[in-house]
Formats: sequence, structure tokens, C-alpha cells
Amino acid sequence: MTSIRPAPEATASAQDGIPLVALRDLAKGYPGVRALRGVSLDLRPGEVHALVGENGAGKSTLIRILSGDVKPDGGSIEITGTTTVFDSPRDARARGIVTIFQELMIAPDLSVAENIFLGNEPGPGLLYSRGKAERMAAEVLAELGVGSRIDPSERAGNLSTARRQLIEIARALVLRAPVIVMDEPTAALSEHEASALRGLIMRMRAEGTSFLYVSHRLDEVMEIADRVTVLRGGEHVATMNASAIKDTAELIGLMVGRPMAELFPPRNETIGDVVLSVSGLTRHGAFHDVGFQVRAGEVVGFAGLVGAGRTEVMRAIFGADALDAGEIRKDGAPIVIRSPRDAIARGIAYLPEDRKDQGLVLTMSGTENVMMASLDQACVAGFVSGPAMRKAARRTADSLQFKGQLDAPAGTASGGNQQKLVIGKSILTGAKVLIFDEPTRGIDVGAKAEIYRLIHELAANGAAVIMVSSELPELMGTCHRIYAMSGGRIRDELSLAEFDEKRILAGAFAAHMAPQASLRGVGAS
Amino acid sequence: MIVSERGPARNDSRIKPLAFLQRYGREIGLPIIVALMVLVFSLNSAVFMSLPNFRNIGVSAAALAAVSFGQTFAILTAGLDLSVGAIVALVSIVGALVMRDHGVAAGVAAALATGAAVGLVNGLVITRFKVFPFIATLAMMSIVSGLALGLSGGVAVTGVPGAFSNLAYARTFGVPVPVVISVGVLAACIVILRFTKLGRRIYAAGGNEEAARLSGISVGSVKIAAYVLSGLCASVGSLILTARVASGQPSLGATLPLESVAAVVLGGVSLFGGRGSVVGVAFGVLFISILSNGLNLLNVPSYTQMMVIGGALILAVSLDQIFIGAKAGRK
Repeated sequence: MTSIRPAPEATASAQDGIPLVALRDLAKGYPGVRALRGVSLDLRPGEVHALVGENGAGKSTLIRILSGDVKPDGGSIEITGTTTVFDSPRDARARGIVTIFQELMIAPDLSVAENIFLGNEPGPGLLYSRGKAERMAAEVLAELGVGSRIDPSERAGNLSTARRQLIEIARALVLRAPVIVMDEPTAALSEHEASALRGLIMRMRAEGTSFLYVSHRLDEVMEIADRVTVLRGGEHVATMNASAIKDTAELIGLMVGRPMAELFPPRNETIGDVVLSVSGLTRHGAFHDVGFQVRAGEVVGFAGLVGAGRTEVMRAIFGADALDAGEIRKDGAPIVIRSPRDAIARGIAYLPEDRKDQGLVLTMSGTENVMMASLDQACVAGFVSGPAMRKAARRTADSLQFKGQLDAPAGTASGGNQQKLVIGKSILTGAKVLIFDEPTRGIDVGAKAEIYRLIHELAANGAAVIMVSSELPELMGTCHRIYAMSGGRIRDELSLAEFDEKRILAGAFAAHMAPQASLRGVGAS
Repeated sequence: MIVSERGPARNDSRIKPLAFLQRYGREIGLPIIVALMVLVFSLNSAVFMSLPNFRNIGVSAAALAAVSFGQTFAILTAGLDLSVGAIVALVSIVGALVMRDHGVAAGVAAALATGAAVGLVNGLVITRFKVFPFIATLAMMSIVSGLALGLSGGVAVTGVPGAFSNLAYARTFGVPVPVVISVGVLAACIVILRFTKLGRRIYAAGGNEEAARLSGISVGSVKIAAYVLSGLCASVGSLILTARVASGQPSLGATLPLESVAAVVLGGVSLFGGRGSVVGVAFGVLFISILSNGLNLLNVPSYTQMMVIGGALILAVSLDQIFIGAKAGRK
């Protein structure tokens, strides 16, 4: 039973050259997948150690092991030189390792302060002291640079995604743990918040805290990491000093295992007639007088800030939310869409941003998910036929180069493969209008390139594609045309020749008083 | 590039009637309905608006109140306790037997211990053996009922000391003792849920179990505590009923599983856990008790009353879904 606490021990180990935490030959397998194969990694006192790799590389599994949530099949964890076994997340925390997970771990009906101190509530004995918790929470939030913007007594469920993420981070900070593991902490943060967080990490590192930092934002990794470890396919590829890495392209090369050719495939060149056109679309409180059109073979992008109304427009076209006014035309003829069922019957498919919540039934197999909306195609004499279903699903999955297991629950597939299942489901329904909402969120670089290629393949086959994305390089690299939305209205329309980051940003910020764009490369290309 | 979300919360710009209802509907809806019900009954019955009748309502509501407050703990953890009725029966038998032979104090202690013990078993079965609360407590309902019938031989246990049974009709400052007791239970529950670490963790475990677990909370212990509290509250309810009938009854509390769940749900506690307050549940209890009292006074047969209560439950939940839940649940 060793603990990293108290800190003097950590200092001692630094002098001895013993790493604070050492993972030795960790192995972990799940049914059908070997998530980790003999991965070793060490964490020195007072360093930021970045962990990068594509989705499915084993990062999440490694983090889960380190947090005590998952037990490894093989290998060992050493804390200051002593082999240890974690029985539970509680155990890992007690030894001084605190993990901030990517999924938002918020109890929605508790206050911000209560969430920050979850499991660690201040107060005498069994009692919980609300005043003390809120005072202490305010201090931590101020340290994170958001003291004025998050009220500790507010219900956590009312907060935006970014703010919930900040609660997660605050939660780890109050524990003053010597080791903090962060899984994509800045994925949902604004640039201001992200840079405040990086500043804080730097300060805490100077005070001796060690970080294991997982991020897809490679520029960020280059900025704050002392060392970088690359995983690929569950194996350790390299560990190197950040100063020895030339640029993000070198990292991408290591992650993907091959030189990064072209992230964005050539655009489809055969553009047909207008397939979908909408005018005057209005839903009170969400968007106003929205009009646009999409041609067959065309990929049309929607740029904007979170909350600009892009998702709301798409949901309304798909019939998931009601419209207050406006007209939708498909192939020139006005149509009425009252429900997603209507939309699917008209050949319109919506691939939601939140694949796990809205796109897939995670407990059902890949096959069942792909076939869910088109069981008619797998029926023999009115009964669903298992073999017919598997055959049709396999054909679709092959055409999408789905690399996971179709028989396994969809929840076990990687982010990229899950996205392919959702796409496969839509293709099978014969959709001619495909609306992608943040199609590459949470997907690694290699899988992103494949999704872009698929999108253009679908377009080349005559589909009209709409792509809502918050990543500007992605829109500019894949679309034929881009609409910029802000405050529920379309502010600008740009043809391919007019693509210009500044102009799109101006449109995206049109409804805001002081435009303060946050320009961040995605690390790719 | 990642574009940022800017500015403070933007939902303060739309305070419209519907938004107001969505935000506060759960808190104010039921009290308003209860007040309207009082108005309607007092216009239709001369007896309804009188102190003796209010005492009646209070006494008949007291046991249901105690049981429902306990049920709240189970439901807040996203669970359910269907064994409360059987606990009431077993506690009634055990309490009466011990009281008859060893006096009131020992009887009360034995009663509370019995309720807590059944709750502990519920909690252990649910957390250790991973049996869903619905099945676990349904099975325990059968086991505990059988135990109550076995212990009593299927007949009432008489010989309960008068000092105890008279409490059911005694008053302090004009308030019937059962009402005082149930208000005491209410106060204790408020304190536990709002001002103790356990209370906050019950909300956390019900609202986001994974978050609670990964925060180092022992979710199992929290759930076990919730079922123990449910058992304890049920035994308080049982003592109130036992005093009223002045004997241990093996068939006591048969309708309590339904009525307590109804009171909790009417009171705005989410069956998915993590949301709701015990004060809301108190109004849920008042709703059921006043409804049944008023219908009695209007000479509505008790079978019809059962149908009315079932219908009211469906109506309340569907209104909640249509006006509040569905909209609030979506961004």
C-alpha cells in the first residue's frame, strides 16, 4: 500500500530518478479487441506527459486503468517504485491519481459547487456545508479564470458543455493531487478558457504536479508537453522529448503509421440539379428566415459558433423539431415534413452530432444498427431474416470500409467506425439528402480523412450533402459552398473561389457585439 | 478551428409563461392543484372545511407520509422500494409482539430495527447481487409478507399496551400526534437530503451514477443507506398504523407500495433518479389524502376512489411530460 501523498516522497523519488508513476507492459483485451498490448509509460514528478494516438490506439483504456476503473489483464502499475493494484476509482484517488474524463461526469441536479466537491464534500463530520463548498468552489473557479462567469450555486445541468468541462477540471484541482490525468480537457473549451487552463497546468507543474495529458489538438500538445508518448493500435510507438519533435506532421506520421498523404480528398466535380431548397424557415427563438439550396453532388457547409442555430435548422428540416414558418422543396416540389419518418420517406437523412445518444443503439450489434431503418430489405416472406440482414449489412459496411466487427455491440466500435455505421444506416434508406452534423467530432486524424473521402464518394453518387461543422479548415477543405450562420440567421454565402477564413468568421460572429475569433489549427494538414 | 461559445447564459432573455412553467411548474403546480381541490370540496361539502375533518385528514395521511418520505430516498437513487407495504405488516407484527411482552420502548426499538434490517437486505441484494430494484423489492415484498403471516399465524396480534395505542388519538397543542410524528420525519428527511454528505451523494448517485462512482463515491453504500432509510421510514408509518388499529396486523399496508410511489411521483420526483424534493412529496401525500377524504364526504364509493387515484397519477405524469419534461429535457 503505497501512496504518492505526501509530496515530500515525490521530491525524494525525483532525486533517486525513480518515476512517480510507472506503467509496465500493460495489456488489456476486450471481446474481439486487444486494446493494449504491452504498453509501458512513466511519469516523472513535475512533468506534462502527453499521450497521443488515433481513436482506438488504446489511450482511453490506458487512462481507465490508471484511474482504477478497469483492471489490466497483464502488466503492473508502480507508484514511486512499488508495485500497486487499484481496486476502484476511489482507490486510485486515494493514492493521489485523479482522472478527468472526457465524458462529462456531472450530476445535473446538484449545484456547481456540489459537483466540484462530489465525494469530497466539505463540512464537519457527516454534515455538508453549503456555504463553505460554494466559497471554496468560487476560489477554484477564479483560478481557472472563470470566477465571474460561473456561479457556484447554479444547477450544474443548466451549464453549457464547455462550462461542465470546467467543473470537471475544477474537481481535480481541489483535490490537489500529485498526478492529474486529463482526457481531452480542452475539446469543448473556448480559446480563452483553454489558454487559462494551459496557464494553470504550467503553474501547477512548476509546483511539482505531474500531468498525463491526452489531446487531439497536437499544437496544444507541442505547446505544453515536456514529453510525448505515441500509441498506435494498442502498442507503444515512441516516447520522446517534445523539444525533439519537428512539427505536428511528424506526430501525425507516427500516429497514423504512414506519412500523412492528403487529408482532404479532391472534390466531386459533377454537380447536378437542385435537390433540396428551403426558404423562409423560421422557428421562434431558434432561427429566422433561413433559405438555402443544395444540388446533387454538392457538399455545402454551415459554419458558425455553437448556438448559431445550425443544428436547430437541420433538425427542423429533418422533422425532429416543428417549424413555425417556411417552405421546403425537394426536387422542385414543395413537401411537408412533420416527423423524421416523413423526412426519411422523402430521402432526407440526418446524422446527428451526438452519435452515441442519437445515432446508434449502442447495445445492439453493428448489423442491427445498420439495418434498423431498412428492415424491409432483409425480409423473407414478411419475417426478418438474420442471414439476409447480415448480408446486406456486410455489403454496406464493406462499401464504407468499416473495419470493426459487425456482430459486436456498436458501443465497442471506435468513433470512426461508429460514424460509418450511422452513415451506412442512412445510405440503406436510400437517402438523397445527407445532413452531417459535426461528422468528425471526437474522431482521429486518420479516420477523419476517410470520412471526408466517403462524403465525396456519396456526393459523386448524386447525393446532396450538408455538413455542419465547427472546424473551419474541415469546411474549407471539403465543401463546394459555405453558409455562415450567426444568431439564427444566415449571414453570408461563399462559393469555392471566395473561401476566406476572415470572411467566414465575420459571418459567424455577425450577431455578436465584439468579434473575438479564436483561431486554432486542428493540428492536421 | 474551434469556434468558441461566447457571452453569459443566454436563456435569461426568454422568460415567457411556458418557460416559467417549465422552470417552476414542478414546484408550484401541485400546491396549486391541492389548493383548488380544497376549494372545490369545501364548496360541495359542509363538513369538509372543519377542524375535526382536517384532523381526520392529518391522521389518515400521517402513515402514508412517513412511508412516502422513505420511498423518496429509494426513488432518488433511480431505484424503487415495492417492499414498503410488507415492511409495514412485518413491523406491525414484530412491534406488537415485543410491546406486549417487553413494553412500549422495546417495541418501538424492535420495530425500527426490523424496518432498517429489511431495508439493509434490500440494499445488499440490489448492490451486491446486482438485482434490479424493481425485482429485488418485489421479491422481498413476498418474502417479508410471508414472514409477517408466519410470525402472526395469519391473525392479528392483540394486547398492544393502551399507552401506545392511545397515542394515535392524542394531541399536542391540538395537533394529532401521528401528524406531529410525520412532520418530524419530514424534517429529518429534509435535513438528511439537503444538509448531509449522504443526501448530496444520493442525488449524485441517482443523477449520474457513473460520475459519482468515478468521483470516488461508494455508490453501493449510498444506495444501501437509501433503502435502510426507506425501511426505517416505513416502520415509523407502521407504528402509526399499528397504534390506530391497536393491534399487530399481518395484512396492514397492502396499498402502500402503489400509494407511496404515486405520492412521490406526483410530488415531482423523477423516476430516473436524482431530481425532486421531499417537500414536493409531502404535497403528493396531501393530494392523495385530501382527494380520498373529499370523495368520502361526497359519498363516492371506495372502489371508485381507487380508480380516481390511479387516473390522477396518469394525468399528473402525462401533464408533466407534455408541459415540462419533454421541453426541459431537450436543449
